Amino acid sequence: MRRMVVPRSSSLIAQLRRGVLEYCVLAMLKSEERYAFDLVRALAEATGMETSEGTIYPLLSRLRRDGTVETTWQESPSGPPRRYYRLTTKGSKALKEFREEWIRFRDAVDVLLEEG
Amino acid sequence: MSNDLIDRYLDDLRDDVRDLPKRRQDELVAEIKDHIDSALAEMPNRDEVSVRNVLERLGDPADIADEARDRMGIPRAKAGIREIAAVILLLIGGIVIPVLGWIIGLLLLWSSPVWTSRDKLIGSLIIPGGLMLPFELFFFASYTCSGSGPCGPSGLEQALITIGFALAVAAPVVTSIYLTRRASILTRG
Repeated sequence: MRRMVVPRSSSLIAQLRRGVLEYCVLAMLKSEERYAFDLVRALAEATGMETSEGTIYPLLSRLRRDGTVETTWQESPSGPPRRYYRLTTKGSKALKEFREEWIRFRDAVDVLLEEG
Repeated sequence: MSNDLIDRYLDDLRDDVRDLPKRRQDELVAEIKDHIDSALAEMPNRDEVSVRNVLERLGDPADIADEARDRMGIPRAKAGIREIAAVILLLIGGIVIPVLGWIIGLLLLWSSPVWTSRDKLIGSLIIPGGLMLPFELFFFASYTCSGSGPCGPSGLEQALITIGFALAVAAPVVTSIYLTRRASILTRG
């Protein structure tokens, strides 16, 4: 198993990041639709260089199939048409629920870490 | 040169996702290709350094493939009984059960998700019947020479036959080793 040679702490962070990544995608689409390339680049930059851009595409594909995002093709000022992502109603709902859970979870962990 | 790098990267990706459903493979490769094009369009020029940087940021195709399997809930294709049986039957199945044994090996080979179409073609064409052909030749040759008196081919013919025989034995053996290695590359992890 390749994952097991990764030091434990960074592997834990990797798992955490991986788990919340889909909500980061939803959050980035909250206020505007985005071109796939820009979305992936912004996401990789926001979550640290450990997220390689290529590994975000399988996630986007799954979100499309889950129905939390939808895509449209739009003309590009230069070059071929581009695929844009936007949030669906289901996606906004999932994001809102996660946001509440996350804040509760984060606060609880912060309290414990500061006490310790 | 820079286009070769991109082609090789996409070929590697296609190879790494070969066990995914065909539509997902095509979709993923098309998205990654679009990404490369968009990234390069932002670069001042499309030279080798730019291409290498773009591919570096995309990451290892094997990691993208792992992520795709994880996100789709598809377990990594593992070489198991079917693959072991396929390699053995392709090699010696035709000897144990003439022709049919090899054909069963062929069916197992083509039904496995572990190998690419190219691997399967190699496995099928080098050499049909596996060791069946050299095995039969060997017996045929010894049968024709069982009589008394001068028999058999001249020295040169004998040498050619020996070389041909060695090739007919070596080729399927090398193919078996190749298929085994290809199966274990995908199974690594």
